[in-house]
Amino acid sequence: MARITLGGAVLRGTVSTALMASLMSAPALGAPPVDLSKWSPEYVRSIAGTQDFDTAADCAKVTPLDYKGRLTFWYQGVFEGDPDLLRQYYKDFFATFRKTYPNIQLEDQALTYNDLLDKFRTALLGNAAPMAVRLQILGGTEFASKGYLQPLKPEDVGYSTEDFWPGAMKAVTWDGVTYGIPTNNETMAFIWNADIFKRAGLDPNKPPATWDDVVKYSKQIHDKLGIAGYGLVARKNAGNTPYRFMPQLWAYGGGVFDEATANPTYKKIELDSPQSKAALQASYDMYVRDKSVPVSALTNQQADNQPLFLAGQLGMMISHPSDYNVMLDLQKKATGTDKEKAQTVIDNMRYGLIPTGPDGKRAVVFGGSNIHILKPEYVEGGKVDEPAAKALICMWTSPEWSLKMAYAGSNPGNLNGFKTKWMKERLDNIKFLDVTTSMLPYGIPFPALPQSPEIMNIIVPDMLQNALTGAMTVDQAADDAAKKVKDLMGGGL
Amino acid sequence: MTIVSGKAEARRTLQSAGFGVFRKVWEHRADYAYVLPAIAVMLVVIAYPIYYTIELSFFNTPPGLQLRDKTFVGFNNYTAILTSQVFWQVTLNTLIWTFVSTLFSFVLGFAAALALHRDFIGRGVLRAILIIPWVISAVAASYIWKWIYHSDFGIIGAVMVELGLADRPPNFIDSVGTVLPSLIVVNIWREFPFAMIMMMAGLQTVPDQLLRAAKVDGANAWQRFWHVTFPHLRNVSTVTILLLAVANFNSFIIPWIMTGGGPSNASHIWITHIYELAFGRQRWGVASAYSVLLFLILMTLGYFYVRALSGNERKDRSA
Repeated sequence: MARITLGGAVLRGTVSTALMASLMSAPALGAPPVDLSKWSPEYVRSIAGTQDFDTAADCAKVTPLDYKGRLTFWYQGVFEGDPDLLRQYYKDFFATFRKTYPNIQLEDQALTYNDLLDKFRTALLGNAAPMAVRLQILGGTEFASKGYLQPLKPEDVGYSTEDFWPGAMKAVTWDGVTYGIPTNNETMAFIWNADIFKRAGLDPNKPPATWDDVVKYSKQIHDKLGIAGYGLVARKNAGNTPYRFMPQLWAYGGGVFDEATANPTYKKIELDSPQSKAALQASYDMYVRDKSVPVSALTNQQADNQPLFLAGQLGMMISHPSDYNVMLDLQKKATGTDKEKAQTVIDNMRYGLIPTGPDGKRAVVFGGSNIHILKPEYVEGGKVDEPAAKALICMWTSPEWSLKMAYAGSNPGNLNGFKTKWMKERLDNIKFLDVTTSMLPYGIPFPALPQSPEIMNIIVPDMLQNALTGAMTVDQAADDAAKKVKDLMGGGL
Repeated sequence: MTIVSGKAEARRTLQSAGFGVFRKVWEHRADYAYVLPAIAVMLVVIAYPIYYTIELSFFNTPPGLQLRDKTFVGFNNYTAILTSQVFWQVTLNTLIWTFVSTLFSFVLGFAAALALHRDFIGRGVLRAILIIPWVISAVAASYIWKWIYHSDFGIIGAVMVELGLADRPPNFIDSVGTVLPSLIVVNIWREFPFAMIMMMAGLQTVPDQLLRAAKVDGANAWQRFWHVTFPHLRNVSTVTILLLAVANFNSFIIPWIMTGGGPSNASHIWITHIYELAFGRQRWGVASAYSVLLFLILMTLGYFYVRALSGNERKDRSA
């Protein structure tokens, strides 16, 4: 046995410790409230309802409850595609905040997903922004990189960075600094109508396993029943388009950059890769070759697909767990035979995992929203009431409210939300929730780059439209999009 | 000597011209005081934005930087626009949109005005009905038409399929070939009542005795229209056409709401493209250069509009 000198032992020990520390990821160094490695529907059920939280008491440690101040706040609120249940929770939140902090004068303004970025950008140009803003996950880095946002991390409002999904924290980090806190995180699921599957000769309880299957099933449904198979969405300037196309692109092994890898560098453009082109080809095959998806896909949004699905005119789509509640709301408004038809569709609504690519790769957009505080110079009046802003942020990102505000359509940004009694209640009330929580580990965040909104809202939909209208071939459309991304990243006009 | 006196004369003329303006302002100081608040407001809300847009058109504004970090690029934005394929596609769309919308809105409006000029039972009701497209919100109208045209479940398509005129609903707004004509139809539907009202007002000014005299002289209906009515409507027609053209160049709501300029830019016209460049892509510099070019075009149209109005006034005074 070789002898080890004291110096050698110290050296080995030092090297081993350094190596271990470097291999441990940052969250591993802290103590996450839930074990992400065990993530499964069973695990989520096992932790639900295991811990109580006192939101007012927690937030009082950040901002005293008798604090007197004023706060202007814009947020991406509920819109026409959301269920009434969510509308009620939003009302409850603001009522509770005003009751908890009676001396904070809150001026809140809700904006829809597609309007918020444009209006916020315009307000910033005129130094007329609100003191705090809740933005879609896509928007944070754009404003952080431009220097509009104040550094803000979970610790500033009484929580820990480990209380939030690591992927979500990436989306609020720019140049190593954290500029916001995730409010909610979502992954969508694959929804199908079992009755349509049955009538089209497909197994009603088996969703398509791969995207190639989606193309086949869509054609079979269309050919047999004369209705649209898959709810393709390709409208420009609408968040729905990237949320539905990117999972397909990543599943085929493509991407805009290398955002689907564990440690993305965003250096190499992949939109013109053979894998990306294969994903685009699948959309082309459904829209142009098979004509098996709605013709209106180029001008439609997901909110337009919902009534089609409820009317039994659409076989499959990608959407939130909240779509089940949306269908219930729409069904209540229907009359006569339409009501019965809608009930049949609701009874036959099934949720499954989003299909994989040819190599078994499954992916979904890791979506959600984040909350930020602006720098005073960009705010109307030139002042930011930080304690008031932190009070609101503490409350929204608390286990209780980050869960309630995401009750039907999303998941709590604060992982402790999964432990609350409301999560337990939600698992019992919200049908198919298991499926979307199961999709969370497959979530891929959009590239954390200031150029992401333009890439996702304009360049990617343009690529789809160019291919689907025949304005360009699939190859040309992909090459054109890759060139646009290259020009954009190079700071072109 | 002659030369010296010539220079002195010229200086006197220049001075009198320069001071003449100030003298006139001074003489009318009370009038200017009355309009000063309006001029001040116009300078703030019109002149400054125009100046700032022109200034911005010479700068590059990358989306990753704040506007204050813009870099001077001279005429690069203008060069980039004029050499871009999208510019020419959007310009062609804009010209087609403006010309066809203006022409058909005017012709339809004129025809409706002529039809309503005669007295018949239900004229008032019909006039009220025809004005509806112009008075309802353009946003609401755009959404309604979007559903009427819907490529899968639109009412037009459903009726055509039901009547056996088509196997499947026609693709109105999801095809690069049909989207622009489809939107133009909506625009004409919305605008022709404006032309109708203008021409109805113009028709009131045609002297009845002239028409009766022409009839006594044996002129048929077409001759009475062409030689008596139409010459009296020339100025109001010019003004109507110019106003329609300016409004159409500036159109935004219908194409933006119905298609967002798509598919594949096939329904992008200048204003929607400028909006997308500025607010969607944050290319404030390029969008400003586009806006300056559009401003020049509209100013030219405005010049003719003012000239047409001045012509009317001169004729009124001489009459």
